Formats: sequence, structure tokens, C-alpha cells
Amino acid sequence: MQRRRRGKLERLARILEIPEDIVLDLPRITMLGNQQLLVENHKGIIEYAPFLVRIKLNQGELVINGEELTLGNLAAEQILVEGTVAQIKYEV
Amino acid sequence: MLTRNLANYTTGVVRIKISGIFPEKFINLCLNGGIMLWGIKKVGEDIYAYVRLPDFFAIREPAFKSHNKVRIVGVRGLPFTLKRFKQRKMMLAGAVLFFILLEVLTSYIWFIDIDGVKTVSGDRVKDIAASNGLRTGVFKNDVNVKEIESQILLNMPEVAWVGVKVNGTRALIEIVEKTLPRIADKAPADIVAAKDGVITEIIAIAGQAVVKKGDTVSKGDILVRGVNSPPPQSDGQNTVQGAGELIRANGIIKARIWYDSYGESGLVREEYRRTGRKVSAVTVKVGGAEMAFKKVIVPPFARYETEVIHKKLPEWRNSDFTVESTINIYHEVATDLYEISFDEARELAKAKAFQALVSKIPETAQVLVSDFEVLKTSESGLVRVKVSTETIEDIGLTMNITQ
Repeated sequence: MQRRRRGKLERLARILEIPEDIVLDLPRITMLGNQQLLVENHKGIIEYAPFLVRIKLNQGELVINGEELTLGNLAAEQILVEGTVAQIKYEV
Repeated sequence: MLTRNLANYTTGVVRIKISGIFPEKFINLCLNGGIMLWGIKKVGEDIYAYVRLPDFFAIREPAFKSHNKVRIVGVRGLPFTLKRFKQRKMMLAGAVLFFILLEVLTSYIWFIDIDGVKTVSGDRVKDIAASNGLRTGVFKNDVNVKEIESQILLNMPEVAWVGVKVNGTRALIEIVEKTLPRIADKAPADIVAAKDGVITEIIAIAGQAVVKKGDTVSKGDILVRGVNSPPPQSDGQNTVQGAGELIRANGIIKARIWYDSYGESGLVREEYRRTGRKVSAVTVKVGGAEMAFKKVIVPPFARYETEVIHKKLPEWRNSDFTVESTINIYHEVATDLYEISFDEARELAKAKAFQALVSKIPETAQVLVSDFEVLKTSESGLVRVKVSTETIEDIGLTMNITQ
């Protein structure tokens, strides 16, 4: 049921040329080299340590491994992870 | 980014330390509550974060809910700076006083400089400026620049242009002088010989030459008479030479001049050498009083040289009060005698003779011949040298005719 609804929404979004992340409530992840990682449309932080950041998403979570990670600019809609990013993993 | 930093500065920023079992929960609660956190860093078990001062009072609830302890570790921003200023009222008063004093002190003229004076007296310019309201310590707005300029011009006809500029606390009076034509001396005069010699060249530009080439003249003889020759007046048969009018003679007169000079030198040369023994006397002068700190009975040695060292304080503005010290160092000297050869002695004597000549011969003279001869002396151990020099030089000397 949900899958069919999702498919319809996707088609509608494509016809109306609306960005899919808005319609489908998907996170938008922007990376600047391995130094900055911006996650928009997140659902909160699960775990934070200087070597590991876990961010809750709409579906599943995003696991970021790295060194000297800090969270800069934390707001309701976005998280900016700064430091040296080594690995990003999507866990559904 | 800059505007956000500026906004954070004006509202004030608090650095907090979150300690507890699950600080992530506190962060999430803050995110949901719309509290902005940034610069989050984990050090050991504690999390440090920045929060804006207005948000700081709202974090009590998420902290309570997540069972975390929040402590302030640092503050910065305008509200805290202002608070500090409020506690130190005297500092603020000092800053205000500083600006008031600066403003007051810069609204007076403290220095008056005069530029461009060559022949005109700078003191007179200063006096005129002072009598028209430009003197040290006068209020800047009271100085009427135009009035002072015109007064200086009126009172000093030798000034062509004057400009008064007030620059900060300094007033600069710029002066451009008139260049007046040089007034030549028109008094009637003769040209007389300045030295003995034989005339080699005589050109009378104004006046009548009384000597001719080859004549021997002695010092003070008239060479060119300051009289012009009027055209001969003829009354038919006789030609009468009219009496001349007195004028200022002018001309070029060159003559051959001989100079003799003697120099002598012994066959023993004396040389002075400091023995190293010395005594020093110190005198200190303060104002008009003089004080001897260390006295020395003069002469301290049989033969000595004196070295004088003056020490003075830098001159203070317009102050005549002097503070200076004088140190006299007396060095004992010993005389060493050296025997020298005849040739050396002759050279020394020659050098002495030339030395004596140099002061007599003017720089513009053209030296023709310079000879020397060794004179025979009855004294032994003495070499005497005679130097003869022949030059050609201008010997004309203008001398006013007195009536």
C-alpha cells in the first residue's frame, strides 16, 4: 500500500518537476572534500563521539567515521559535521 | 558567516559543558526545541558547545529532561563586555576624560613655525602675528588667518606673499620674500695695488690706467684712477683736456709676485708620547652655580696634554637653564728624541716653509715657479731652508676716494 503510494508520488513529482527530496522527505547530504559534511532534513543525533557520529534519518541512520569530528551549526533542520571524514555508511 | 558572528557577538555567547550519561539526548532535545548549538566538541566524557545567551535560559528544560548537568565554562560578547564596564565606572570615566582632554588640548595652537625667511627677521613676523592674535596657547577658532596675513603684508613691505596655515596644533606662517635688486656701490674709487709686484697685465674697464705692463709697483700704489676722460674740448686752436669726473674704477690687474719663506729643522726630532699616567678633574655647572667635584692642582705633571670632555643635557624648549659637566683629563707625556738624517731634516724644514707660504698665497693665484735652497748656518744640528715662489695674481684692490 505504502509502496504504491510512494510510486504515485514519485511520478507526480517527476511530472511537476518538484525536487524529490522535498516530496519524498529524503535527507540531502552535501560534502566538501573530506572536511565538511552537511546533512539536511535529519531526525536527530543518535550518538556522538570524536571518531563516530550517528545521525537518525527518515529511514535508518547515517554512520560517519573519522577523526576529530565536531558538530558545528546545529539546527532543527541541519547538522554540520566538521573534521576529517573517513567513511560514510547508510544503514537502513 | 560574518553577519552571524556579529549577531552572536551582540546577543552574547555562552560556552557550556554538558556532562551526563547520554548527552546526545540533550542535543536532540535542543534541536527540537529550536535552540541553536554549534562548535560541539567531545572531550573525554563531556561535551562542550556554544549557545546564544537568549537561548541559554531555555536549556534548563532539556537538561532536566535528559538528566544532564550543564555548566558555564566561558562567556563572550557585548552584554558581558558592557557588564564589565558597568562594574568599572572609573575606567569609563577615564576613557571619556581622555577624549575630552584630547579634544580640548587639540583646539589650541601650541606651535608656531615660520618657513621661508631668509633676510627678513622671523621674530618680527612672530611679533606681528602675536599682536594680531596668533600666539602660543591661543584658541584655534579665534585665529583670523586672513587678518594676520594682511597685517604681515602691510607691516612688512619686503614680503611678497604670506600664507598662514593652521594644521592641528601647529600654525605655519609661510613667507615669500621679495627679491630686491642689489644696490651696487657707486661711490668713486681708485684701484690700488694690494701687494708689491711687477705688472703683467692691466685692463682698465672704467677709469684711467696709470701704470703699464712691466712696471714695478709697491703696495698701495694707484693702478687705475677713478676718473673718466671726457672728450677733448676744442676752442679752435688749442685742444684742452677737460677735468674728469670722479667715477668708480674697475679693471683687471695681474702682477708677478715673489714670496719668500723660511723653515728650519733640527737634526733631532722630538716626539711626544703619553705615559699612561693621568688625573681628571670634574666640574658640574647647574644654572649659574659651578661645583668642583674633583680638583686637580695644575700643573699635575711636568709635561702634560689636556683633554676636555663636555657633557650637556639636551636643550629644553626655550629654556636657558643649563646643566653641564666638564671633565678635564690631564695626560702625562714623555718626550722621546730621535736623530734624523740631513735629508729628512731638509724635507721637514721644506714642509714647514711651504706651510708658512700657503697662508700667504691666495687660492686664485697661479703658481709659476717654486724653488728652495738650503741656507748655510753657523749652528750645527740645524737645517734651514728658504723657499721662493713666484706667482701671478690679481692685485687690484678697490679703494674709495675720500674727499
